[in-house]
Amino acid sequence: MKKAKLCIPLLICLISLWSCTKENRITEEGNLVPKTVEQDPTLPSISVNGSIFHAETFGNPDSAMIIVLHGGPGSDYRYLLNCKAFASQGYYVVFYDQRGSGLSKRHPKSSYSIQVMLDDLNGVIAHYRKSPAQKVFLLGHSWGAILATAFIDKYPAVISGAILGEPGGFTWSDIEGYVTRSRDIKITSELVNDFLYSDQFITGKRDEHAILDYKYALLSVADGDKDNPVGNEGALPFWRSGAVVNQALFELGDEEKPNWTTHLNQYHTKVLFVYSERNKAYGQAYAQKVSSAYPNVQLFKVNGTGHDMISFPTGWSNFYPVALTYLNSLK
Amino acid sequence: MKRIKIYIAFALSLSISANAFSQSINWKSLDKEQKHIININAGAEYGLTAGAGYGYQLKSKMPIVLNVEHSFPAGKRLMDDFKTKIGGYIRLYEINNFQFSAKIQGVFRRYENSFASLLNFGSDMTGIAGYYKPKWFIAGEAGFDKAIVTHFKHTAAYKQNFPSVKDGWYEPSTGGNFYYGLQTGFSFRQNDIYLKAGKLVSQDFSTTPLFPFYLQIGYNIRLK
Repeated sequence: MKKAKLCIPLLICLISLWSCTKENRITEEGNLVPKTVEQDPTLPSISVNGSIFHAETFGNPDSAMIIVLHGGPGSDYRYLLNCKAFASQGYYVVFYDQRGSGLSKRHPKSSYSIQVMLDDLNGVIAHYRKSPAQKVFLLGHSWGAILATAFIDKYPAVISGAILGEPGGFTWSDIEGYVTRSRDIKITSELVNDFLYSDQFITGKRDEHAILDYKYALLSVADGDKDNPVGNEGALPFWRSGAVVNQALFELGDEEKPNWTTHLNQYHTKVLFVYSERNKAYGQAYAQKVSSAYPNVQLFKVNGTGHDMISFPTGWSNFYPVALTYLNSLK
Repeated sequence: MKRIKIYIAFALSLSISANAFSQSINWKSLDKEQKHIININAGAEYGLTAGAGYGYQLKSKMPIVLNVEHSFPAGKRLMDDFKTKIGGYIRLYEINNFQFSAKIQGVFRRYENSFASLLNFGSDMTGIAGYYKPKWFIAGEAGFDKAIVTHFKHTAAYKQNFPSVKDGWYEPSTGGNFYYGLQTGFSFRQNDIYLKAGKLVSQDFSTTPLFPFYLQIGYNIRLK
């Protein structure tokens, strides 16, 4: 009984000690990851298709439009900002973080679909387009190039040309194969434990976006690791990863086994398809195979760079003049 | 104050917790005179891991082994990620050859990559039920590994992406995973060789870790 009497005040003291300091809350936006446009109204944004997107534009709004589509799914456009340079060459360059990605609004996992991503892109075009005569080009990298192709497959008349950078594939089997090759990492490497070991420190529920996005961001160190077969020069700059949209779209792909090539034979405009010299998971043969879904292709190898060829100086300096020449030929 | 809080977290975790990945004991072959149990193990647990442990059998009516364990994953930088556990293993019931035991451990672990280093105090609790013979055993196990409080410190590389990131201690609990599986072993003289394997699921029961399994092969030597 005496022991019990002693234990109660001791327990109260312990609880008091525990509660008298203010700790950071892992679920709070802005602690480990930046706030999205939904929580921070000072960020540049547009409201399209029932959501709010982090978006920016550069150049004359009446000029031919280039819509830049980032990879992932779930990355953001920060790593593609070199493309601002097209604005000084007479283009209206539009960047937006896709639904659930970067600083755009987060949504429940069940709400994502390929069609909603296509509707978003349609909405972004409609939001910025000044007249039906204004040409619209898509510049998509990795997943962004897949999204661009899915859009062209469905709405070929809307798009005046496309630059596609190392899409994993336009059919699910190709994408699966590429993803497997790009993750061909030695099991004893530091990169593997960088990937797996954090799972015992941080777990998030399905709707805890701040936790899930942070955890996903920790994994993105792999992008620049020298053990990674994709051959990047370093880690990519980013704002905030979109973990839920990434998982949702991969699961949808696995379930629906999409094929985005069924109508591409009707798209006769030339497409610039670029691939990198250093990405061991890609290569010329695979680039030829994937790009062959388009009837009219200009294939170009970007030397001295890996998968994220648009982000690093060597890749950009090799990519930019070819991309500009291509765009000018269709302007 | 924060330090006090961490000590309390660790103390509480010791008192309430346990683990699937630590050494297994064949209670039927453990002699009361064998006070010291030395263990080495290797396997897969959130990565490819190796570890070692030491157990001390108390003189008590009910068999109790206090133990300390350390493990680390493969990789070029061996000291940047690790896990240390301190706790106890108690055999609760014995009915013929069937035995029920529990393992309760406090956990201190570290993770580091190019963006952040994480220090965590947690707890690990396992319940084990099985059939034990002097030469062999087979048992089922289930448990919960909870990350109670975690310190985050970010590198310049992460701060380039997000300069306002807040370093420091984070709560509430930053994570937790349930696990369940089987363990089996073979004992000869003062030695045990065991194998355990199972599955991991996150505490919300709807998601799993990237590698949702665990596997361990281990060796114990029991000394007087």
